[in-house]
Amino acid sequence: MKKAAFLRTVNLNGRRSVLPGVFLIGFVFLFLNATADAPEARQAPDPGSTWFVDMNRYAQSAHTSLACEKCHGTMVKNGREHPDLKDAKKLRDEATRNFDYTRCKSCHKVAYERAQQGAHAKALKEETSGTVPTSDETSGAKKKAPTCGDCHSSHYAPSGLSRLDNGRSMADVCGSCHQAQKISYLENYHGRTAVYLGDEKSAFCTDCHGAHDVISLKQRDTALGVCARCHPRASREFTGFVIHDTLESLPEKELEKQKTLVLIHRVKIIAFVVVTLVLVLFFGHTFLWILRELHEKLRKQ
Amino acid sequence: MQPYSPREELVQRFGVLHRLLHLVVLIGFSGLAVTGLSLAFSDQSWARAFMWVLGGSQNAGSLHRFFAVITYACVVIHLVWFFYYKLVLKGKWKGPHSLLPRMRDFRDMSEHFRFFFARRSTPPAFDKFSYVEKFDYWAFFLGMNTMGLTGLFLWFPEAFTRLLPGYFVNLAQVLHLYEALMAVTLKIVIHVVAVHFRPAVYPADTSIFTGKTTVERMKEEHAGEWERYRASQQESAASGK
Repeated sequence: MKKAAFLRTVNLNGRRSVLPGVFLIGFVFLFLNATADAPEARQAPDPGSTWFVDMNRYAQSAHTSLACEKCHGTMVKNGREHPDLKDAKKLRDEATRNFDYTRCKSCHKVAYERAQQGAHAKALKEETSGTVPTSDETSGAKKKAPTCGDCHSSHYAPSGLSRLDNGRSMADVCGSCHQAQKISYLENYHGRTAVYLGDEKSAFCTDCHGAHDVISLKQRDTALGVCARCHPRASREFTGFVIHDTLESLPEKELEKQKTLVLIHRVKIIAFVVVTLVLVLFFGHTFLWILRELHEKLRKQ
Repeated sequence: MQPYSPREELVQRFGVLHRLLHLVVLIGFSGLAVTGLSLAFSDQSWARAFMWVLGGSQNAGSLHRFFAVITYACVVIHLVWFFYYKLVLKGKWKGPHSLLPRMRDFRDMSEHFRFFFARRSTPPAFDKFSYVEKFDYWAFFLGMNTMGLTGLFLWFPEAFTRLLPGYFVNLAQVLHLYEALMAVTLKIVIHVVAVHFRPAVYPADTSIFTGKTTVERMKEEHAGEWERYRASQQESAASGK
């Protein structure tokens, strides 16, 4: 019975009954789109940390054709057994830090060599040699330069991802350390169109910074070469456009960028105040006007 | 909508050109708002739903530029008309029928506020354009020029950064966004509510679309213009006889 009553309200004969139907269709449509297109929904769940490899997921991954020994060697090596029961400390070590990543090189030669040239490998070398402190002076948070395994899940990373899926997961992977850069990227036109709107022509993290090279774009000339890939008519001054509009993790020596950012934020605050004042004034004006006319109308009745 | 009754006396208030421009601007502005806000709020699911309807961000970008061109074309046509009116028709650009702000507008405004707080029983006798309508006009006219400028900057950043520093693109983005939010709220909420949904007008004032308004409404909302209209009618009638 209830169903029949519902159907009657969406009956298209009467003009009044059309409206609920239109709204219903609209909301269903909005809901479907919202859920289908949300980038968050496409993210694979966090693999988490476990002693064991989930073989079902490993079977779906890019490395599924490799036998364990290909990367991990045999259970006995240099006269030591694995797991080494005499060395309990060994088991507590993080696998992603201690794995011998030179093994990746045998298949991923170009990527490995590029990574060795890049800023991440340089930071890792400095960290292991002890030339830089491994924790941040102010916050005390541990700074850790990434190894291969910090960005790539060796057991579970799928192969053949589309440019879009790859790019979207990149925003999260890079963003797990470069939080402020992720936020500012997603506020920028590039991040919005690429990650939120799925425009493949827009730029993801690695389109500008390179995947394994991890280029810093603080030098104008380096940046120009990168910008010019999509904006061939760009001039040197074009690179002054701030994409990562954030003061966080900005070295103090970058005075020019700091000044620019302060200016941009001041303009933002002024614009916000002006817009708010104008809107408050006109909302108030209209509200009073309606109230008075309503009063007049009711009085005449 | 008010039912049309031939007994009602109608007054011509807007010519064909102004009605047409208003209609095109209405379409252009709404198009700009939908395409632009879908990008600005693309982290929200409703904006992504709009984007899906528009066919992705590339299409929405092209549509945004199309709507920008037709909207700004209206501003240009309006300016051309103004010079035609001034130079060829030798029309007056000052006076009671003008959109230029006058001291009287400030007086009207304070009187209107007195009416809001029941310090007077009727609204002040507005002339052809009340201070609200003048504000609407100038907000749009100036706003379209500043929005057009920042918009052009964002359309051709490569060309503009040959003359100006790169961070001006950031500034253009900030100003374009905030002014868009203000303009959309002023036009789509406040303008529509103040012109159509006020209790004295509800459900709609069709004069900008039909060009005609009723004598009744003229007396209420544009008493100054109505007085002059009646005087000129009587004058022409007298000279005609």
